[in-house]
Amino acid sequence: MPKKRFTCVYLVLVVLLVAVFLFSLISGSNKISLVDALKALFGNADENLIVIIKYIRLPRILMSCTAGAGLAVSGCVFQSILRNPLADPFTLGISGGAAFGASVAFVSGLATITSFFVPICAFFGVFLSVLIVYLLSMYKKFDLNAMVLSGVVVSYIFSSAIMLMFALSKATNIQTAFVWLMGNISTFDEKMILFITFIVVIDIAILSLSGNIINTISLGGEKSKTLGIDIKKSVKILFLTTSFVTASIVSICGIIGFIGLMIPHIMRKIVGTNNVILIPVSAAAGAIFLSLCDTLSRILFSPVLIPVGVITSIAGGAFFIFLLLKSKKGALKGAL
Amino acid sequence: MIHIENISAGYFKRKILNNVSLNIVQKDFLGIIGKNGAGKSTLLKVLCNLIKPCAGDVYINGKSISVFSKKAFAKTVSFLPQYVDTSLPFTVPEFIMFGRYPYMNMFKIPSNKDYIAVKKVMEFLDLTDFAEMKINELSGGEKQRVLIAQVLVQETDIIVFDEPTLHLDLGIQNSILGILNDLNQRHNKTIILTLHDLNAAAEFCNKLALMEKGSICNCGSPEEVLNYKDIERIYNTTVVVKTNPISNKPYVVPVCKVICQQ
Repeated sequence: MPKKRFTCVYLVLVVLLVAVFLFSLISGSNKISLVDALKALFGNADENLIVIIKYIRLPRILMSCTAGAGLAVSGCVFQSILRNPLADPFTLGISGGAAFGASVAFVSGLATITSFFVPICAFFGVFLSVLIVYLLSMYKKFDLNAMVLSGVVVSYIFSSAIMLMFALSKATNIQTAFVWLMGNISTFDEKMILFITFIVVIDIAILSLSGNIINTISLGGEKSKTLGIDIKKSVKILFLTTSFVTASIVSICGIIGFIGLMIPHIMRKIVGTNNVILIPVSAAAGAIFLSLCDTLSRILFSPVLIPVGVITSIAGGAFFIFLLLKSKKGALKGAL
Repeated sequence: MIHIENISAGYFKRKILNNVSLNIVQKDFLGIIGKNGAGKSTLLKVLCNLIKPCAGDVYINGKSISVFSKKAFAKTVSFLPQYVDTSLPFTVPEFIMFGRYPYMNMFKIPSNKDYIAVKKVMEFLDLTDFAEMKINELSGGEKQRVLIAQVLVQETDIIVFDEPTLHLDLGIQNSILGILNDLNQRHNKTIILTLHDLNAAAEFCNKLALMEKGSICNCGSPEEVLNYKDIERIYNTTVVVKTNPISNKPYVVPVCKVICQQ
C-alpha cells in the first residue's frame, strides 16, 4: 500500500477518533454543550458538570477506546498467526474463560464482598482456558488448526459450565452476571484504566513493530522456516502476549463480541494485509468503533444503560451477513 | 559444496529415506527424479534443514547444517516448497520482500538495501508491471515468477525448488526452467530441484539423481541416468528413449500398453 494512502487513512481515523471522543463527551442522559464539556474537561466549569465529564464520561471513553483498540489488535494478530479468518478471542476460548471466571465470582457471592473479585476471577478463568489451549496445542506440536479447535472446544466446555452454575444459583446473581457477560464498560473500576491503557499501548507498539514477523508467519510453515523464523517460538510468544492483553480487557469490560473479528476484516479491505500497517490502523478503528457503540448504549434507551456487547454484536452480525451476501466465493479467506 | 552423507529420514515412525548419499558441486543444476513416494521431497526437506535425519548428516562447504544458525542457514540456502500460501492479498513487492527477512533488523523493518534488492529482482524477472497488483489476483505462471523472485531476493548461493513447474502449461514450464537455467549459467547459482517431467529434467539439468524407494539408484548426466531399463523398471511402464536432434539430450516417450501387446 502506498505510504501516502496509508497516511491519509490514518489521518481520517485520527479525525474520526477525535470526533467520536467529543460526541461521546457531550452525549448521555444529561445533554451538555461542547463548549461546557470542554470547559469541564479542563476544570473550568460547574462542579456537577466536572464530575459528569471528568469522572464519569472521560474514564468511560478512555476505557472503551483502550478496550476497542486492544480487542481489534488481538483479533488481527490471532487471524494472521493462525491463518484463520474466524479466529478471535471468542473462538480461542479466551472470552469463554473470562466468562466462566466472572460467573464463578457472581454465583459464589465473591462479587458482593468486593467488585475487584470479578476481574480477578475472570483473569484466572482466562488463565485456565489459555493454559488448556496451550497444553493441547503443545501436544499437537503447535499445529495451527489444532490450536483453533482446542479454543472452540474449551469455549463450549466453559459455556456449559456457566449454564450449569446458573441453573443451580439464585436469580439475582444470574441477572448481574448476565449484564457483565454481555459486555459492560459502566461497571469497571477507574483505577484499572491506567493499568489497561499502559498494557494495550505497549502491546500495540510491540505488535506493530513485529508486523513483518507476523506477515512472514502467514506464508506457511515450510516457507517461513527456510526464511529463518522459529515458527513455534514466534507463535507461542504472540499467542501468549495477545492472550494476556485480551485477558486484561475482558476481565474488566466483560465479553465484548465481534470487535476482534470484524474490525481487522474491514481494515484489511481498506489498507490491505500488511500487518505493519494493519495493526495500528485496526487499533484506531477498534477504539472508534467501541467508543461509538458505548455512547449509543448510553443514549439509545436513555436513561436505561444497555450492555455495549449487545450493540457490538448486532453491528457485527449485520456486517457479516452483509459480507456474506456481497462477497464473492472465497472472499472471507481473501479478506484475511 | 554439498555433501549428503548416509542420510536416513522419515515422518514419525515411517522411514522414507534409506542411507542416501550424494555430492553436489558448485554451479550444479541437479534434477531429482523418481516416481511418487520415492522420497524426492523428503530429501529436499532434509537438505533445507526442515526435517532432522535419524541417521547421517548434510554438509555445506564442510560444515554440518545442524550447526548453522537459522539466520545463517537462510542466507545460504533458499527453498521454494510445493505449497506456499498465496491466498492473502499482499501486493507483489510486499510478498517478495518476505525473502529479505534474514537480512532485516530485530523488528524486521526493511532497509533501503532491502527495497533496492526487491526492485532489482522484479526488474530481472520482468515483474515491474505487477508492482501494484496483489499476489492472490495473479495467474499460476505469474504467481510462480513472484515466488521465484522471493527466493532470489534471499541472495543465497544454493536454491532448492520442489516441483517448480507443477500444474503449469508447457510454455510457462519452459519459461520458468529457462529462468532457473539463466540463474545457474550466468549467476553461478547451484540449483537443486525435483521434477516429474523427465524430458524437461533432461533438457535443463546437467545432473540427474534417480530415486527409488527412498534411495538414489542412479546419479549422473541425463544421458547416463535416462536409460530405458531403469525408467521402465522404476515407473513400471514401457518407454522409448531417444535423442533430441537439436539439443542432443535424451527424451523419454511412453509407449501405449496395447501397442506393446500387439
